[in-house]
Amino acid sequence: MRAAALVGIAAGCALLAASAITVHGQVRAAGERLKTGATLEKPKVAVANDAEAAYCTPAFKEVLARVIHACGLVGGDSRRGCQPADVKTLASISDDDFNALFHPLKGRGAVLMFDDGQDKLDDAAKKIIEDRWLDRRGARYFFVVARASKTGGADFNRTLSHKRANSVLFHISDKFKDADPDIDKEVGLLWLGSEFAQLGKEYCEWNVSRPNNCAAEAINRSAFISWVDCQL
Amino acid sequence: MSSPQMTQTKVPFWPAALALVASGLGLAFALSSTIDYTHHLDRQVHDLHCSFIPGVAGEAGQEAACRAAMYSPYSALFKDRYWGGIPVSLPAVGAFAFFAAFAIYLLLARERAPRRAHQFLFLAGLTPLAVSGLMFFISLTKLGQFCKTCVGIYSSSALLAVAGIGALLVDRKRAREALAAFRSTPGKTVFSPPAAAAVELEKAEKKAEGVAPTLVEGEVPAVEPPGDPDAPFTPPRTGGPGLIPAWLFALAVFSVVPALLYVSAMPAYSTYVTGCGKLENPADPTKALLHVTPPGAKQQATMVVDPLCPTCKAFHQRLVTEGLFDQLDTTLVLFPLDNECNWMLDRPLHPGACVVAKAILCGDHRALSMLEWSYENQDDLVAAAKGSEGIAKVRSMIRDKWSGLDTCIDSKETKQRLERVLRWTIQNQLTVSTPQLFLDGVRLCEEDSDIGLSYSITRLAPNLARSR
Repeated sequence: MRAAALVGIAAGCALLAASAITVHGQVRAAGERLKTGATLEKPKVAVANDAEAAYCTPAFKEVLARVIHACGLVGGDSRRGCQPADVKTLASISDDDFNALFHPLKGRGAVLMFDDGQDKLDDAAKKIIEDRWLDRRGARYFFVVARASKTGGADFNRTLSHKRANSVLFHISDKFKDADPDIDKEVGLLWLGSEFAQLGKEYCEWNVSRPNNCAAEAINRSAFISWVDCQL
Repeated sequence: MSSPQMTQTKVPFWPAALALVASGLGLAFALSSTIDYTHHLDRQVHDLHCSFIPGVAGEAGQEAACRAAMYSPYSALFKDRYWGGIPVSLPAVGAFAFFAAFAIYLLLARERAPRRAHQFLFLAGLTPLAVSGLMFFISLTKLGQFCKTCVGIYSSSALLAVAGIGALLVDRKRAREALAAFRSTPGKTVFSPPAAAAVELEKAEKKAEGVAPTLVEGEVPAVEPPGDPDAPFTPPRTGGPGLIPAWLFALAVFSVVPALLYVSAMPAYSTYVTGCGKLENPADPTKALLHVTPPGAKQQATMVVDPLCPTCKAFHQRLVTEGLFDQLDTTLVLFPLDNECNWMLDRPLHPGACVVAKAILCGDHRALSMLEWSYENQDDLVAAAKGSEGIAKVRSMIRDKWSGLDTCIDSKETKQRLERVLRWTIQNQLTVSTPQLFLDGVRLCEEDSDIGLSYSITRLAPNLARSR
């Protein structure tokens, strides 16, 4: 019986030791993998970001970036918006090429039309602004590109264009400042005056605020607005 | 005690043999389960050997039950103290090793083994069955599924219990035969001690309704076997009173030693659990996010979930099962992985999630109930979204359960609110993934959201008491 007991004890110790050493070794190995990072490479997970639409071409993003960074949108600069001269300098781009950059936004944006020599928004324009503003989706920036027709002097038109851009900004602020405290960081203004990137009559086919009174001169008494679905 | 002239009742070998087989199987299953568990101590996800054959990988897709069992709060002890805890299969490894050794002893000793050995096998052999019964009940009522490895351990425990019952029957038979031999032999040869012990035995037998009592070693009457008056009969040796406590102590040592070694080898995790980032800008000035605050909430938490994401469902259930969810003052960030509303995806991972998320936003104070409903009906909702009727069918399911939300779901305000929720994830630079849990702004690592959950939460939110 003593022999049986001894064999039993030996077997028990052997089984216990083998099991414990196996488990101990596995724990150690796991600890080593944890320490050295010797595990399967983790798939890269995207970080939440703004939308990036197909129209965000390098040329478009260059204009966008220059407007945003150089014209006071980013960084809390007190200056707000770009003048035509700025655009010419910054974008180095022809009128037609500049306008073409915005063609993909035909469905996303709208053209607000103003009376001759005026910067006051009518009800139709206000409604379009509100609709467009609320249709943000994943966009980060809201662009306002104001224009003036060639009627009148360059300085007058430059000032008028500036006022039209501001009218849009002020209306957005009045309506949505409470719901969106970051409007200042989202709206980019560009006023073009009459010397750069005038629109042709074909732009009357876009979503305009006065579709029944759209003509070659009238379409330039305007402000183009749109969310821009590009990451910068 | 015995001599060549003396005879003893033959002890059948099957209880010990069955105990050896059962213990061997139990040891193999428990070891396989433990090793699978230890693989995960590197905070990664590994394959499981979920099979009726210990150590063999099961068929693809059949490991879900084993994974559910492993991720459940019942899979390990001291989970809040050690990352992953000590797997319950680990004490089983030691216990089955002990029973295997004990069975070997019984097989070799046979009739020379004291009666207490068989009684011990019966008593102690029931303990694995008792634990298995408890785990079986938990699997049935809490998990709703049975993992094959667990079933292997349950079966081994049952076999061991059968072996223990067999050992008890053998013991009773030996006692009865000894008593019968004592009674039926006219010329009893008393070896030691003399007749007084036999009288005591007979008295005790009457009390025990014919079953011989356990006798103290040295006081057993020796009787001659009925068939052979010349050969003195040796009654079975009982064994000293300290044997059973000693074996129980040895069983306890066997059960505890692997756990101690396991704990001693575990790496330190404290630096890992806090290294997965934090919320950069948690402010929500537009009040787009939902808030769920149960009465016992004591810990701020931010949870990023997709109502149709299976991992979110499992994670939510884990928090509820562990008694944690009701202690969280939760800011709920709905993040549907569906490109119908979420521009961060180019295809829908969970089609229909956008409309369900809008419905939950519209549910307001019913948000949690609606989220849990969407988890419960996740498969049906996704199937509906992928079916011929598409989102219309999902809308119909929502309408059937939660009436009066149609106008709200379709409103511009709800669309914008959901967009603001999505933009909140951008302002906090979150990854495009669900679920994500932040405690006081510190992210619970994805790697710590399963077996390391209790430990990590204890580290991230020390005041969060667990109430299992």
